[in-house]
Amino acid sequence: MKLFSRPLRSSNRHLLSQYPSRPVYRTVSFARHPSPSAHKWSHPPSSITIADDEVANLASQPLHALSLADLVKHGRPPLSTEALFSSANFTLSLLPIRLAHRIQALRNLPFIVVSNPNISKIYNNYLHSLSTLLPYNAKTISTLEDEIRFTAVLADLVETHSHTIPTLARGFLECRRYIDPAEVTRFLDEHLRARIGTRLIAEQHIALHVSSQPHQDPKLNPHSIEVDRSSSYIGVIDTALQPAAIINSCGNFVSEICELKYGVRPTWVIDGEPATTFAFVPVHLEYIVTELLKNAFRATVESGRSHEPIVITIAAEPESTADLDKKGVMVSPRAEESDNPPIRPFEDSAPGVTIRIRDRGGGISPEVLPNIWSYSFTTFSEDELPGQTPGSGNMDALNAISGASGEGSSIAGLGYGLPLGRAYAEYFGGGIAVQSLYGWGCDVYLRLKGLGRPKG
Amino acid sequence: MLRSCSQNGSKTLRLTIGARYRPIQRYHYIQVRRVNNAPPWRPASTLDEWVGKEARPISLRQLMVFGRTLTEARLISSANYVRTELPTRLAHRIRDMQTLPYVVVTNPHISQVYELYYKAFETLRKVREIKTLEDNEKLCKKISQTLREHLTVIPQLAMGVIECQDLMKPEDMDKFMNTILRSRISRRVIAEQHLALTETFNSPWHFPDSPHTPSVGTEFVGEVFLKCNAGEVVNRCYNTILSHCSATYGPTTSLPTLKLSGHLDATFPYILSHLEYIIGELLRNSIQAIVERQKSSPRGWEETPPAIEVTVCEAPQHVIIRVSDQGGGVPRDILPYLWSFSKGPRSSQRLENLNQVPKMAATLQELRVSSDIPAPLHASSHPEAHERSDPIGSGHDSSLSSLSSRPSNLRLGMGLPLSRVYAEYWAGKLELHSLEGYGVDAFLQISKLGNKNEQLTMRASMDAV
Repeated sequence: MKLFSRPLRSSNRHLLSQYPSRPVYRTVSFARHPSPSAHKWSHPPSSITIADDEVANLASQPLHALSLADLVKHGRPPLSTEALFSSANFTLSLLPIRLAHRIQALRNLPFIVVSNPNISKIYNNYLHSLSTLLPYNAKTISTLEDEIRFTAVLADLVETHSHTIPTLARGFLECRRYIDPAEVTRFLDEHLRARIGTRLIAEQHIALHVSSQPHQDPKLNPHSIEVDRSSSYIGVIDTALQPAAIINSCGNFVSEICELKYGVRPTWVIDGEPATTFAFVPVHLEYIVTELLKNAFRATVESGRSHEPIVITIAAEPESTADLDKKGVMVSPRAEESDNPPIRPFEDSAPGVTIRIRDRGGGISPEVLPNIWSYSFTTFSEDELPGQTPGSGNMDALNAISGASGEGSSIAGLGYGLPLGRAYAEYFGGGIAVQSLYGWGCDVYLRLKGLGRPKG
Repeated sequence: MLRSCSQNGSKTLRLTIGARYRPIQRYHYIQVRRVNNAPPWRPASTLDEWVGKEARPISLRQLMVFGRTLTEARLISSANYVRTELPTRLAHRIRDMQTLPYVVVTNPHISQVYELYYKAFETLRKVREIKTLEDNEKLCKKISQTLREHLTVIPQLAMGVIECQDLMKPEDMDKFMNTILRSRISRRVIAEQHLALTETFNSPWHFPDSPHTPSVGTEFVGEVFLKCNAGEVVNRCYNTILSHCSATYGPTTSLPTLKLSGHLDATFPYILSHLEYIIGELLRNSIQAIVERQKSSPRGWEETPPAIEVTVCEAPQHVIIRVSDQGGGVPRDILPYLWSFSKGPRSSQRLENLNQVPKMAATLQELRVSSDIPAPLHASSHPEAHERSDPIGSGHDSSLSSLSSRPSNLRLGMGLPLSRVYAEYWAGKLELHSLEGYGVDAFLQISKLGNKNEQLTMRASMDAV
């Protein structure tokens, strides 16, 4: 049900031309996504047509909460053909539903927001992806050709959606007068968390496929995973991930950007237990660490204390004596306003890792502190936003350097680093806490729940 | 006819039974074990009247400004404020207790606290308006006595809460405890402040009619220490706790050193005993964790334990003190109960320990129970800086006295939640982040300006919930 806190002055058509000087806030309930009406005019403009009842049907089905067990239950690569089929079918059972839910959510955003070209592009991407998957929905994958084609579709999906976040960010920024920031945060929280899961499912299957057929279809291999019989990887999960290595590589990357922008390279030291390893998804950790380091480095440099190293402490939770054969941890996406049933992580034996990043960058001022978790809140000035000023040559260069699955970008500016980082951390039951000592520096605590020991 | 008498233990009931065989009445004695203690019934109207009044909160700044220039008129005015505030606040808490489940209030510990409160309420509400210094003296005597009697409230409450764990939801219990402890701080602050002001007024060095500029050496206004210096307080607390820990753990255990950094010159007005309690508890936790981690680690006690790093950070409006240790962090099973007064898996141990503390008030001061530590200053203390270097500040038993006097290895499980109550009382904050497997960072935030009102839980806000 749409609730309007203030009656619209005129019909929707006039909104675009009026550009009201005061923001028109509406509270839209995202808790349930009502099925769109049967009329085509209720849909945002799109060149792709998918039957309404198809989307409605899919969106009405419940979302499956992803767990580690799901990701690894098909076995360690290289997979047998049957296992590969089972993985493909499992993926097929989940993805269309997830995409449909996202489409539904997008359709419920205010009209003026979805009309924005950026948001509209994302909306169309989702429709396109769903339309490519629907042909497979009706049948089970039981032949190798089907499986290869399916994996190609998945790869295309991953590729299409790899720039969703900057595009969405830009879109919401342009629409900020027409939508309440709290609503944006709510929508994005749900959307981005769901996206984490969707991409994980897709990428896991792709990785399993690739590592099971090392000598076939090299063009399907966008991730360049080296297949190694003794690899610690199971798909996208690295069971022997060393946080210190990730921190060092991300640190190098971010300090390069710093040098480009500020002329100075902050340093860091790692103490605690640098040799710790645990099971996690490397790209997730890279993203989180990059974002946190960006914040820390920027603060350090801008406060004039770039000679003081940032102290990063890695703490490994001691292994509990509980049952080590347990299957692993249940995923608990934050489920306040989504359809995902809330799942609390049960007691598991997977030891986690806590990383503390301590900087002397002067801390976060009390005025800014309440806003650090909202999307697109940033202390970067507006004219420095990526893509806004045509003359910002070095911004584009920085965008080009970006890594981390295409989501990394400039040193700061999108305002997504902290909330999205937290979404990644919380996806598997961890979290991020920020403690500011205004006038001194900041302590950031990144808690990561290990993914446990998979069977076999 | 049943005649009920004392509180605990078995009682004998005397039953009069009609004579069956002989005209003489015969008493038969029956042993009945009294299971719980119902406080006697009292008329509610007087209490209602006081419950209806609102408490008037104060701020540190008001305390300071008020006490700086002490005249007889001001002292009398302070006395009258105390005379009405104490019964009002007591009444609110008594009413809170009356609304707790019956089975909780009949717990012997809670029941005892209830009785103490009611007695204090009855005593204080009957005091007439203060008009002369003699009246004030009488009031001060009553207040001192009440303060002393109430020294047992905290341990009693703590024990009662643990014993009643299954009778109430933990959130409700914690809310009740927080409210009652916060109110307790407020009453004792008001009371002790007034007693200290009276002392100052009566001391031979005080000239009531002299021009009001205080001497440079006056750093105390009553109980409020105007220039709490974070670095100095931390050092002092650390040394006190260190000596206590050495006594407990013995000379073979090497204890961690203290590493102070940051804006060590930061000063702010605060009630010294509160600050010392909080910092004392944090340091105590850190030292204990480090020592225990060393004992259980395979390396044994050979290596030097890692130092405790304390950083003081000063911002325009507040001072933050960060205590970082490498004590191994908080175990996962305890983490949910860290800030709660109901203690989860360690309850029975805590209960036993609580029973061993005779009376608990809670400050660093009574750490000096053993004879080799010098006795507290006498009541007629000279309000000059060097004699005030003793953290007590005044001679009477300050409210936080004996909690810290317990032996180091007696874990009560109250340090953190109680510290938080104190920190938040003056609109500050206490946060803890644990790096499991490594150590703990505790953050104490103190408002520097002293102009924030005490955070009471007002009747209105409670009824609204």
